[in-house]
Amino acid sequence: MKTVIRNTTVADRLLFLFLVTASVAGIFVSREAMPKGSDVIVEINGKTAYTFALDKDRTFPVPGPCGDTVIEIKDKKVRVSEAHCPNRLCEKQGWVVKGVIVCLPNRIVISVGGKAAHSPKDIDAITG
Amino acid sequence: MQLQDKYRIAVLSAYALALHGIESLVPTPIPWLRLGLANIVTLVALVLYGFRTAMTVTLIRVILASLFTGTFLGPSFVLSVGGGVTSTAAMGLTFLVFKDLFGPVGLSLVGAFFHNTAQLTLAYFLFIQRMEAMFVIGPIIVLLGALTGVANGAVSGLLLKNLLKKEGGRIQNDNEDERRAR
Repeated sequence: MKTVIRNTTVADRLLFLFLVTASVAGIFVSREAMPKGSDVIVEINGKTAYTFALDKDRTFPVPGPCGDTVIEIKDKKVRVSEAHCPNRLCEKQGWVVKGVIVCLPNRIVISVGGKAAHSPKDIDAITG
Repeated sequence: MQLQDKYRIAVLSAYALALHGIESLVPTPIPWLRLGLANIVTLVALVLYGFRTAMTVTLIRVILASLFTGTFLGPSFVLSVGGGVTSTAAMGLTFLVFKDLFGPVGLSLVGAFFHNTAQLTLAYFLFIQRMEAMFVIGPIIVLLGALTGVANGAVSGLLLKNLLKKEGGRIQNDNEDERRAR
């Protein structure tokens, strides 16, 4: 170990310090700059029908085969407050901060979490 | 190209290929994290025998390794070639311009950084094209690259020291021959 350290020049150490500080700073900066699950996306029949900001309270009906499904956004949370499908699973799921609410009979998918949470990881592999 | 150079390149490429293979057997915490052990050989080749040898060895290593693993001309092959060529070129340039400023560790860091940057750029243009993903993944990759770069540089430094001590005279002569030939 000693010989390794003695083998390095001043420029080596400065370069290492610079790279490490820059990348650690970059990690924090990019984390701050990332949008945090800020959108509510409502998909009907697999197509995006509405996109709403999560931080604004609102209640809106979405029409479907079983009647209107009422979606409520409040305090940065989403729920289905009224559904007319047989099982009402979406209603029972209650408030959701991040993730998905699915109403199969009405073919409605409500997902929270912006783009980042909506799509899976992008990078499959990097090889040397 | 002299016969001796051919032998040298063949031996170095064999070493690099072996390290490349061993490296894929070493388990890493993150699947796409690679140690870049083959870079040790590139670095040693660069310092001892010059830029041309290093580049040839890198190209042979990348192409043969991809043939063995069946990824030749595939997407990961493009990333491999891009990273390898860019990092070798960057190290060669650094070695040429700042000969006394950087030791093996610094050269290895430069190589690792440019390897990562080249692969990120290629990945961006070829596959992902989403800037925010780059911003998230970039710093992490650069940080990991810096850590593995230091390790590789340290090993290369020790290797170079021993090689130069053992057969310093001979290698020096070879280098002079090369220069005279040019």
